[in-house]
Amino acid sequence: MSDNTLFEIKGLCKSFGSGLVLDHIDTEIKTGEVVVIIGPSGSGKSTFLRSLNLLEMPTDGTITFEGQNITDKKLNLDKYRQKIGMVFQHFNLFPHMTILRNLTIGPIKLLGMSQKEAEKMAMQYLERVGLPDKASAYPSQLSGGQKQRIAIVRSLCMNPDVMLFDEPTSALDPEMVGEVLEVMKDLAKGGMTMLIVTHEMGFAREVASRVMFIDDGRIVEDNTPQQIFDHPQSERLKSFLAKII
Amino acid sequence: MNDFILSFENNFITDNRYLYLVQGLGTTLLITLFAAILGILLGFLVAIVRSTYDKTGKLKFVNAICNVYLTVIRGTPAMVQLLIMYYVIFASTSMSKIVVAILSFGINSGAYVAEIVRSGIMSIDNGQFEAGRSLGFSYPETMYYIIMPQAFKNVLPALANEFIVLLKETSICGYIGLMDLTRGGDIIRSRTYEAFMPLIAVAIIYLILVMIMTHFVKLLERRLRSSER
Repeated sequence: MSDNTLFEIKGLCKSFGSGLVLDHIDTEIKTGEVVVIIGPSGSGKSTFLRSLNLLEMPTDGTITFEGQNITDKKLNLDKYRQKIGMVFQHFNLFPHMTILRNLTIGPIKLLGMSQKEAEKMAMQYLERVGLPDKASAYPSQLSGGQKQRIAIVRSLCMNPDVMLFDEPTSALDPEMVGEVLEVMKDLAKGGMTMLIVTHEMGFAREVASRVMFIDDGRIVEDNTPQQIFDHPQSERLKSFLAKII
Repeated sequence: MNDFILSFENNFITDNRYLYLVQGLGTTLLITLFAAILGILLGFLVAIVRSTYDKTGKLKFVNAICNVYLTVIRGTPAMVQLLIMYYVIFASTSMSKIVVAILSFGINSGAYVAEIVRSGIMSIDNGQFEAGRSLGFSYPETMYYIIMPQAFKNVLPALANEFIVLLKETSICGYIGLMDLTRGGDIIRSRTYEAFMPLIAVAIIYLILVMIMTHFVKLLERRLRSSER
């Protein structure tokens, strides 16, 4: 394991009832990598992503994060999750709070920031994604694209070491996909480690440092975007790409 | 018309009979208020235990106790519960009747509040839980900051309804010898041998109380909703 390894995943399995959703996943994620995970629906790619912050508890195998085994029962799960940003398909903003409160509640309650500090930081991030005028709005007053940008900022406000994106643009109207991908590209350029489950192949080709193709709970191919998209090796990847492009 | 005034005087003015209603009203309000507080405390506690069990499978034993509580309380009449409380459980103690009534109605109301609040918690999208947990909030923190405020807003009308029912249900506490509003009217009836005046007066007072409660709930609902158009 080299120094800049962030995640080391060994023999990761997850089953629901009798169905095996993840079947012995082995891989490493290095700091600064942008890994895009593709695959047919039901292939286990979301489950894989969600198991990295233990929203899904693995049934077998180990996940090591910054040298620490996170499947250990003694681990302080809440502290660990603070370092992992998560962006959901359906945004999951807190509807009873203003945007500013959505962004600052974590830093204030969990990181011990003062309200002033937290709000200052939140406003800087809001400037960065072009939504400073929405600080006092409520989530229901925002468009889908705006909500997702806010959701990304909410995670960033916790100053995470890695960001997980679970189909961040799948619930958006087509004309709003671009603005969210722009923010993600920006993050990638800034050196953020990112794992992204998406169907946006153009984005994957442009931004990813690695693309993982998961099918039937296994990593079938794991390579640079050029190799994956231009020279797919396996029949399954070929037929998958043929269907979606 | 003259008859009406005479009857009014006879029922309420003579011997200061209206005081039966005033004192009775005080007792009714006292019991309702404290029973409601007890009901809210119990109900939220039970609701949190039950939904935690539903969501995570933890607290199995406590959940089983809660289930027994809900089954027994919701499966027997409030009146029978009150009588058992007074004549069986507290029979040998010198506990005041008011306290017995508060306990009895509070425990009764708690069961209904619990199911209302639980339905509110379960109605919140699981994504809200996941968002809270993935930010690093613990389960109790997620409940407190994220789930409960939303659940409470959703169940407010149902909760208000429960307390209106509670207010009216306290009218049975005359059976353990308490003089509440209903019994107050009844005492006047037994003095004057007139049923119309005292009973209609009692009904009107209940009606006004319920209308006042409904009004405040509407105000509160509107205030809560303004945060979320």
